[in-house]
Amino acid sequence: MPDSIDFSRKQVLVLGASGFIGSRLVAALTGSPIYRPIAASRRSGLMVDATDPERMHAALRDVDCVVNCISGNDRAMVRSTEVLCEAARASPPRRIIHLSSMAVYGAATGTVREDQVPVAPVSGYGQAKIDCERIVRKYVDDGGDAVILRPTCVFGPGSVQWTTRLAGLLRSHRIGDLGSAGDGCCNLAFIDDVVSAIVAALNAPDISGSTFNVSSSADQTWNEFLVAFAKALGATPIRRIAPRMLRIETKLLAPVRRIAAMAIHTPATEAITPSLAALWRQDIRIDCSAAEATLGLPRTPPARMIAAAVQYDSSLMEPALS
Amino acid sequence: MIQDADDIVRDTVVEANICIVGGGPAGITLAMELARSGSSILLLESGDLGPTDDAQALNVGEVADEALHSPADKYRQRCLGGGTSIWGGRCVPFDPIDFETRPWMDHSGWPIGYQDVEHHYAAANTLCEAGDYEYDARLAVSGGMRPLLRGFTPRYFGVNSIERFSCPTNFGQRYQARLRAAANVRVLLRATATHLRASRDGSRIDRLDVRNSKGLGFSVKADQFVLAMGGIETPRLLLTSDDVHAAGIGNGNDLVGRFYMCHVAGTMGSLQVNGGTDTVSHGYEVAADGTYCRRRISLRPDVQAEFGLGNVVFRLHHPRITDPRHRTGPLSAIFLAQSFISYEYAKRLVSDTPPTAGTWLRHGLNAVTDPVSTTRFLGHWLRHRTLAERKFPSVIIRPRTNLFSLDFHAEQAPNRDSRIGLATATDRFGNRQVRIDWRYGRQDVETVARSFDLLRDDLANQAIGQLTLAPDESDIETVVRRDGAYGGHHIGTVRMGNGPSSGVVDGDSKVFGVNNLYVAGSAVFPTSSQANPTLTIVALALRLAGHLRGIGKSVPQITTVRQSVMADQHD
Repeated sequence: MPDSIDFSRKQVLVLGASGFIGSRLVAALTGSPIYRPIAASRRSGLMVDATDPERMHAALRDVDCVVNCISGNDRAMVRSTEVLCEAARASPPRRIIHLSSMAVYGAATGTVREDQVPVAPVSGYGQAKIDCERIVRKYVDDGGDAVILRPTCVFGPGSVQWTTRLAGLLRSHRIGDLGSAGDGCCNLAFIDDVVSAIVAALNAPDISGSTFNVSSSADQTWNEFLVAFAKALGATPIRRIAPRMLRIETKLLAPVRRIAAMAIHTPATEAITPSLAALWRQDIRIDCSAAEATLGLPRTPPARMIAAAVQYDSSLMEPALS
Repeated sequence: MIQDADDIVRDTVVEANICIVGGGPAGITLAMELARSGSSILLLESGDLGPTDDAQALNVGEVADEALHSPADKYRQRCLGGGTSIWGGRCVPFDPIDFETRPWMDHSGWPIGYQDVEHHYAAANTLCEAGDYEYDARLAVSGGMRPLLRGFTPRYFGVNSIERFSCPTNFGQRYQARLRAAANVRVLLRATATHLRASRDGSRIDRLDVRNSKGLGFSVKADQFVLAMGGIETPRLLLTSDDVHAAGIGNGNDLVGRFYMCHVAGTMGSLQVNGGTDTVSHGYEVAADGTYCRRRISLRPDVQAEFGLGNVVFRLHHPRITDPRHRTGPLSAIFLAQSFISYEYAKRLVSDTPPTAGTWLRHGLNAVTDPVSTTRFLGHWLRHRTLAERKFPSVIIRPRTNLFSLDFHAEQAPNRDSRIGLATATDRFGNRQVRIDWRYGRQDVETVARSFDLLRDDLANQAIGQLTLAPDESDIETVVRRDGAYGGHHIGTVRMGNGPSSGVVDGDSKVFGVNNLYVAGSAVFPTSSQANPTLTIVALALRLAGHLRGIGKSVPQITTVRQSVMADQHD
């Protein structure tokens, strides 16, 4: 009697379920004996426009937990977090898991724990994530139960941002060995580890109002990671990128490529933005000891992450267009 | 952090747990490695971020035989990065035999073994940016590198060892941001060490006298001192510091500055390879990690033992540039452009007797009558050398006639009479300049001559080609003298030994009899190997960092003491 089993499983509403993290979370929960995912996004599953208060009210009815994986433009992220918390005040779920980002730390360097204050400059995305966190904290102050997770760069099969995009740039030899421009600490969160942390946070006791950094590895520089990834992809021989070339990319070519990307999306229209280049230099080591202790965060080593990404996504192996 | 010593008030005492003198590859490697320890690290660099005339002037000295050795201020750079600001980037590990006591070579043998250094080569290779630590031609490039000479399986030589090339990475530029960011590392530029002050019983270094570029003095107190100033400047400072140790620090047995080795190296001979040009692959191949790799021909260790020779390698080289008879446009273009090439490279490429007007004319004709390959060469050079971040390492020309010359790079045997001493003239801080008296010995000529003969036999026996001396080369010693001491490799002057009678420093690079003084760099190598020194300098610096790690805890403090106290301490 599947129905009776379903009723005993806790209903988890996943907002942003068509995104990378959301979809992987739904897949993981589908096989869970404890949780039953309700996938919600604008495009598929339970169709929810998260900026629409009425639809959100309806969606929250009868769910046990909510995981907010919504990404997108900065304003929509903030607005949907407001709408979520407002609706939750009316019909409170047992817990909200809100996915934030390491971008909230801005240009901080050194070993960074959850109590680190943002260091300017903070990107627009980072500021939006800070605003979202503020809304969630207000919800907790008002008596709600919510947990904030701050993943680093989420890597893994299907990650457009940190896997497909970087693979494309490596294949086209626009990045490679970056020299001192790649000496920053590479904080990668493997998707399986992120999902595991979310699932653990769903019912961990006494953590409402807590914030956790979530990352799998901070043991290598971006250079070391990019070289290893390029070798695994067969994007060799790896090119040494001159600082001059990187400046041309970020200052001159990035705006042009972004405009071109509005018309057509190819590896050639993938911009290397100044903020991406700044991240490769940023000596920020995200400390995850709290998540390890409380959520049992697994730490997949970089070599396994890379192997999984390369093996899973055969489209990664197609030659780049530029 | 990186600071300027000119901002330091006179008579200041700068304190640190570990004071490293010299910001070349050894000093920078040490500082970065120790940045992860709890110790406070002070790195003194005499020069600036880039070269300056003032700093270079401090390198001036005497050379006993200017035909054999370059001037004292050449191939030596006083700036952050040191020698790596001008190096060619060739990385080669030492061979196991280099560390052994060889009965046929006096003063050979290290107090440490190959495995003690080998352990650090991979990390050193990474710091030098020479890619993976893989020096076997069959494995360095996917599918294996092409054979240097097709079908050549010599009896006396190995053909599968390679050299890998750094970008070439200037450690001063590459690691500047890391040094700036390290909280416990303080780099002082324009800080010239002038005198090591030993305790009264000579067992410790109490203080180091330092001058900034304005000539104002201050001093450094540290728990440990490491001299990483290169194979010429390190013995100079030790010999200069003679107030407590009358013969200079560590020089109780008259070893400091002696056993000065470079390499015996140059280009010679004429090799006519049989068959078409496709039988030879003497250039570079690129590994997956992007590094340039090149094969070499190396004298096997058992053959070295059998014939009592030093270690040596050969590479195939284009014909000598200076001789216009090669009729190769690109080579003549290099000859014509020699005034645009730095002294250090021009010496290796084109140094010879002064050319006549006729020679210039013939080179001009070569360049003009071979316009396609000259243009192609210049285009390749511009794209892969001038504009590239990882630079094509050297001039590779495929001679149309399969006629090559031979690059040799041979170990120089330790020789007590080859030495760095002090001249009578002084620098602007009043310290005596160096006097360089480089000597080569019978065994050095024998190593080149005998291995040349063995290679000639191997090539002839296998019908690969005919190797002879070039028409203008009467004998091997003439060749050895023509190229002289290989520039930039300054080895053996503060040698490592099993005890104070055979060495200045022990297996941990600590000066015998002085409890807190260490030496990093090629000065400590008791033998010179066939290999270029930088990779091993970095590997040994990593090893020394391991030894020093964990000493001291705090960040360097500046305390200003009264003049009277300073005067006291000068007693």
